[in-house]
Parts: sequence; structure tokens; C-alpha cells
Amino acid sequence: METQFLLAKAKDKELAKRGECGGAISALFKYLLDQGLVDGVLNLRQGVDIYDGIPTLVEDSEDLMETCGSLHCAPTMFGDLISNYLSDMRLAVSVKPCDAMAIRELEKRHQINEDNLFKIGLNCGGVVMPLIAQKMIDIFYEVDPDDVVKEEIDKGKFIIKLKDGSHKSVEIDELEDQGFGRRINCQRCELKVPRNADLAGGNWGAEPGWTFIEVLTDKGKKLVKDAKKSGYIEVKIPSEKAIGMREKIENVMIKLAHKFQDKYLEENYPDTENWDEYWNRCIKCYACRDACALCFCKECDLEKDFYNDENEVVPDPLTFQGIRMSHACFSCVNCGQCEDVCPMEIPLAVIFHKMQKRYRDKTGFIAGVSEELPPLYSPEKS
Amino acid sequence: MVKEMSDEKTKILGFCCNWCCYGGADTAGTARMQYPPNVRILRVMCSGRINPSMVFKAFKEGADGVFVGGCHRGDCHYDAGNYKWNRRAELIKDILLEFGIPEERFRFEWISASEGEKFQKTMEEFTKTIESMGPLQRTFPICSVKQQGIKAK
Repeated sequence: METQFLLAKAKDKELAKRGECGGAISALFKYLLDQGLVDGVLNLRQGVDIYDGIPTLVEDSEDLMETCGSLHCAPTMFGDLISNYLSDMRLAVSVKPCDAMAIRELEKRHQINEDNLFKIGLNCGGVVMPLIAQKMIDIFYEVDPDDVVKEEIDKGKFIIKLKDGSHKSVEIDELEDQGFGRRINCQRCELKVPRNADLAGGNWGAEPGWTFIEVLTDKGKKLVKDAKKSGYIEVKIPSEKAIGMREKIENVMIKLAHKFQDKYLEENYPDTENWDEYWNRCIKCYACRDACALCFCKECDLEKDFYNDENEVVPDPLTFQGIRMSHACFSCVNCGQCEDVCPMEIPLAVIFHKMQKRYRDKTGFIAGVSEELPPLYSPEKS
Repeated sequence: MVKEMSDEKTKILGFCCNWCCYGGADTAGTARMQYPPNVRILRVMCSGRINPSMVFKAFKEGADGVFVGGCHRGDCHYDAGNYKWNRRAELIKDILLEFGIPEERFRFEWISASEGEKFQKTMEEFTKTIESMGPLQRTFPICSVKQQGIKAK
């Protein structure tokens, strides 16, 4: 399908006000729920504060209000939530690029039924870890993190809005130079617009109060058309200038991602000695495996007796991380979940991302983006 | 001969496909071609049956080198097993490197049941390579005493 560019906003005044950029995405969800096209919407809701994003299943469109707006301090993953718990539901889900990538890999492996799913993509420049966000707001903004009512990433700045209505912003470059800012795997990520979803919405190139939407599949096209016809959203065609501006922002972000890839996967990449030190920290809690969206086996090789040794203080990395890598690294979507959950702070995403990059260079397979399964699964004689 | 066996230091594990390389080893044996005794052969039904985990386990258990012998391209008894193995082997090489095991210690070759001589030559070559590299010294695992010196990131 030829991609289509649109500007959209919610017709519902409340949604338009509470939603981000005119609430177009929330309006699409409302349309899907009201029309009974889906049984539920999987979305993010703000918990106690802005650093607390809670995955939420909304089954009544009245409840959509509390999932309006965007959260940038929520390193969540919807892929395995769907495959583990919601695979029997017809769902609409808001996906950032890594969610969409994980979902695509799971679809190919028949863990998620594509026909049951509307993937509403959200452009993503990266996610900040909640704790890091609070720390950096304290240090760089000299503000009590609890006073922040809203955060936003725009034009290379991390912007916070305070209780009294004032704004403060700091360049993300500056934050990241000091080891704060977005998660490291997000810094390396080069998929900023989730083109593997049905449509991708965001504020890049959009005028205030409108969401810029790139329609990517026939399913997405029909959704936007029908939602417009039923009076849920208002749509207009963006100017050439707006399209150009969006492309420019995306390209700048991708270029930056490549810079970070060079930095973290080449220049600062740990050598074997460093890795030995990291592997020696492993307490074999299996958190990396459990958090990995792509590890879905009921019976795990890692738990087999013949790969385990009772006398080991730390697991042998070859038969622990090595086996995990041989199962998953070529399909790694660099979502960073393994690294986030590791209690011993082993930089797992770095090695997995590097291996997927190497696999990509050799075979052309891009995890989460390519339509087909990795060549390793192929029955081809080649 | 018995003395030689007990003296050998270099340990090589050889996974051989039942339909070709294992036959090749047999051919070498019946023709009384000598090859180094360092190689311990494990018969598998197809090179496509070998998981990366099995290769890793071999190195973990103290193998200095791992050899895999499969059927020539197009000759797989199960149609495409050796092609699947070939793709897997490329990945194994990359992963081994990440864990500090040089790719020379992991070798795979296509050897048919009639190629006793190729089997013999390959084993001689591979053993020589591994011997010249010395025993595999893995820095891992460091004992728990040393571990106390590691600081968190």
C-alpha cells in the first residue's frame, strides 16, 4: 500500500483537550470500542505520578479518558503481554516502535494473531527510565520531581511543566553526555516511526492541536476512513512543508541513533575481559529471559539439567547467556527489557543488539521489521 | 597406543552425521588410516540436529576444539539439514567470539561416507591447529573470592 499522510484530531471536545496533539489516537480507540470492532484497548495509564506508566486494558470507551496523553518515562513492553495474556481478544494497542517490532516477531511465530490486532503506532524518540528521570530533574532542573505535572520531548529538549504552570527545559544531548536522558538502547534505536504498525501518529510536522498520522496498511486506511465517516475524527491533508519537516526530524533522529550505535556498539563496546566481569555478576535469576518478549517457549533450554551445574557459583556464560543468544539474538528488537530488569546491571541489550546488527549485515534480516522469519528458520537449500 | 591415549592433552569433540561423516570415519578406520586419537566422535543423525547449545556445552565441559561433519551440499539424507546447520554454524562462530573463543577452535566440514581420506586429513589438520593454540583457557568462572573485587557499574 502506498503510504498516506494525514493530520487528524478528535471531534470529541473532551478527548481533544485531554489527549495529546488533538487526541486523534484516543478518538480512534474510542471509535473501535464503540463500534465493537475490538474487545479491548491496551494502552498506558498514568499511575501515581508522571513517572508511573501502567499498562491498562480498557474495555469501556468511557474509561479511555484516563489513558489520554503521552508518557515518556514508561519503559513498557506490550508484545509479551498480548501473547501471554490477551491472545484470545480482539485488541487495539498503542505501540511504540519496539512494541511493534516485538509484536511482529511474535506474529511470525504464531504467538499473536495479526487479524485480532489493530496496531496504532506512536512515533518515539526514546524512553527515560523513571528513576533516572527523577534524578535528572532534581540535578539539572533543580526542581522537586514531585512538582512536575507533565513532561514532553520536543526539538531535542526534555521539557517539564511544573505545578505552577511554568516550563523548564534542558537539551537532551547535555543530559545524555552526563549519563542521564533516554535509555541507552533507546539512544541506539533507529526505528523512530513504527512503520511496522497499521498507522503511525505523532507530533513531528504537525501543527498544534493536530496529530500527524502516517497510514501504513489497508487496515489502517480503512480505520481512519471509517472513523472519519462516523464523526470521531476530523482529517485534513498536511502541507508539503509539514511532511518535509517531519522527515527532517526523523532523519536527524536516525542520524543521531547511528552515532550512538557507533559509540556503544563499537568504540565503547566492552572487550572480553569486561564481559567476563559482567558475566561474573550474574545471579541466574532468569529475569532477562522472563522479560524478553521473544522468549516464549514453555520448556526452556536454560532449565535443562544438562546445562546446569550445581557447583557453579555463577552460571557459565556460554551455557546461560550463550544459549539465550543462540535462541534470540538474531531476532533481538533492542527493546532493552533484559537490561532494565537485570538486578546486577549487566548491559545485556548491548551484546544482543550488536549480534542482531551483525546478523543483519550478513543476512539482511532486520528483526521486527522484515516480513519473513529469520533465515535460520528457513527450510531453503541455500 | 593405550599410553598415547592417556597422554593426550588436546581434547576435540567431533559431531558426525550418521549418513556421511560418521561413515567417512568408518571408512578411514577400516582402511587403517591413522588419525589423531584426540578426537572423540559423537554420532548424530544429521548435522541439522546439532544445536548451538551442544557446541557450547562441549566447550564448557573442557573441549579444546569442536568439529562438526555433515553431508555435502545437496546430499542431505533429510533434504536440507546441512543447509540449516550451515546457517546455524555461522551464528555459533559469532557467539563463540563474543565469549572469547576464537573461531579456529570450531570447525565444520562436508565429508561423505566414501571420503575416509578427507576425514583423516581434516582430523590431522584440525588437531594440529588446536595443538598449536594450546588448551582452551577460559577466564571464566572466576571463583567467588575474586568476585568481591568487582565493583558495580
